[in-house]
Amino acid sequence: MDAVIDPAPTRRPSTWRSRIGPTLVLIVCGLFFVLPMITMARYSLQNIITPLLRWEDVFKKWSLSGIKAAVSDPGFWPALKLSLELAVATVALTLLLLLPTLLLVHIKVPKARPLIEFTTLLPFMIPPIALVAGVAAFFRPNAKWFLNSNFSLVPFYAILALPFTFRAIDAGIRAIDVRTLIDASRSLGAGWGRTLFRVLMPNLKMAIVSSSFLTFTVVMGEFTIAQTLLKRTYPQFMYEFYSNRGQGATALALFTFLATTAVLGLMFFFVRRRDRRAGTTTTVF
Amino acid sequence: MSQLSFQAVRKTFGPTVALEALDLDVGEGQLVSLLGPSGCGKTTALRIAAGFEFATSGKVVVASKDISNVPAHKRNMGMVFQSYSLFPNLTVAQNVDFGLRTRKQDKARRTKTVADMLDLVGLTAQTSRYPHQLSGGQQQRVALARALAVNPQVLLLDEPLSALDAKVRTNLRDQIRRIQTELGITTMFVTHDQEEALAISDKVAVMSNGRVEQYATPLEIYRTPSTAFVARFVGSMNQLPGMVRLDGGVDVAGTTLPTPTELPAGQGVVVLVRPEAVSVAEESSAGFRGTVASLTFQGADTVVGVRLDVLDALVLARSESTKVGQLSIGDRVGVQVDTSHAVVEAAATEPAA
Ligand SMILES: Nc1ncnc2c1ncn2[C@@H]1O[C@H](COP(=O)(O)OP(=O)(O)OP(=O)(O)O)[C@@H](O)[C@H]1O
Ligand SMILES: [Mg+2]
Repeated sequence: MDAVIDPAPTRRPSTWRSRIGPTLVLIVCGLFFVLPMITMARYSLQNIITPLLRWEDVFKKWSLSGIKAAVSDPGFWPALKLSLELAVATVALTLLLLLPTLLLVHIKVPKARPLIEFTTLLPFMIPPIALVAGVAAFFRPNAKWFLNSNFSLVPFYAILALPFTFRAIDAGIRAIDVRTLIDASRSLGAGWGRTLFRVLMPNLKMAIVSSSFLTFTVVMGEFTIAQTLLKRTYPQFMYEFYSNRGQGATALALFTFLATTAVLGLMFFFVRRRDRRAGTTTTVF
Repeated sequence: MSQLSFQAVRKTFGPTVALEALDLDVGEGQLVSLLGPSGCGKTTALRIAAGFEFATSGKVVVASKDISNVPAHKRNMGMVFQSYSLFPNLTVAQNVDFGLRTRKQDKARRTKTVADMLDLVGLTAQTSRYPHQLSGGQQQRVALARALAVNPQVLLLDEPLSALDAKVRTNLRDQIRRIQTELGITTMFVTHDQEEALAISDKVAVMSNGRVEQYATPLEIYRTPSTAFVARFVGSMNQLPGMVRLDGGVDVAGTTLPTPTELPAGQGVVVLVRPEAVSVAEESSAGFRGTVASLTFQGADTVVGVRLDVLDALVLARSESTKVGQLSIGDRVGVQVDTSHAVVEAAATEPAA
């Protein structure tokens, strides 16, 4: 058995003493993230109420009934659909505004970048409730139809996601020599459209994907504004569902988390693989 | 007939004058270099030709057509940049194909052009590689192939070799010249390396501060520089301080050099002479005297540094190695100066450093 193992020559022989510190940190961090998930799973997917749980019953009575109840609620699909639509619209709005703006800033007015960077931090300083209250106070008397539409949430979400989306796209733009790529493309006869879609976007793919994902996450998790404007979004549905069906809502939260993590992981995996082939260095986040 | 011409092209960036009034004609099929120190406006001139910048005033004419207001993507120019400019997401072949696709050529024709171009630059084995898998020199060759693929009216090269190491540089430099001659394509080549410019150009425009100081063949630039700036910038120069004599020659520490000059008698001047116009002789011969201070063997030639007795100046003499082979440091020698191509410049009030 020992003979088969090829000793890694470069690794320094480490005693258990030198490894104990990092290992401990890893274990504590792991527990910090995993324990809540396990308890969530236990609470929501095992039909034994916690005070009655015995050790010998740990593997008994697991079922998906909680999640089934949540999914079959008449409010579930419309809420999920609305949130997905909002997410797509917000991604579109963000990219439409941010990508050309940042490209222009980068090549024409690089001095304005710090100002823009600061502006994108404002959502961290202004509480969402203040934002929505202010905007509502203005629109209610002036353009009520705007607040009535479900899509009135889109601009809010675009603003909330700005600190993340700006950074993702900005990092992507700075990782490539935008000026030279644009010049090269134009000297080869490509107009602005072709340059944007054939040269810039493919080379900013990773930045676009990560900024879209950050937007997506913000939209799928935002509660305050939706609640204030009385929109039935997915988080709002979860909140309401939780107040009468705690178990089902917890199951839903768990599955939502797993689903987004899986999609995120897959997407990065594919983009990274294609990127590595093309060798573009992309900074994420 | 000139293929590309700048007519009184002026360009300012706010208060900075990048080009003063550039007049330059590039003949069809010629390779013209823009040579000058950093910041003299070479890139600006090239970018105006390419359409990336527009002149503040003046005209750019290509094949008798005024293209001053034509945007970059409607001009038919091929450009190679100083920094690596290949599209990182495309393979070598796709990069070369980019301009052909933009022109909506049919597939068969495109495939053939791409193959021809990659063959021309000697990269047929790398067609499906990505730019990051290529060396700097290979990347610039792909960039050249990409620029040539669209069959441009003018090829513009902005210091395409400056990021490469010396050996690759000379190699690629000669390859560019060979391809340029083969295709007979009108080319403008920007560089701050005088050796590079002299080596490959039909004509060289030496620039300084947004102006062309001299526009001539490499030989003329080297042999008969029209201004002191050109003389100093191209090749190396000895500088001998002196004074204009009443009879028109220049007195350098008691020795008269027969150099014609329009400067008035009594004017303090500096005489610029190339090392190859200086020769080392017997100590007894006429001219200056001094002591050998350095010997730099350069193969066929040896550069002898002589410290003159009179001026405490070091004068460099380039001679055939076989003629000066027996000299050693500390030897007493005579120095003779051939001033037939010397440049006489009024001395600055401050002595030059
Ligand atoms: N976009 C710009 N905005 C402001 N000033 C500029 C711009 N481009 C060039 N300049 C200025 O114009 C002058 C000429 O610049 P240019 O890039 O043409 O020089 P260069 O000869 O190519 O120099 P180098 O050898 O360093 O590349 C410089 O003083 C430069 O600072
Ligand atoms: Mg330049």
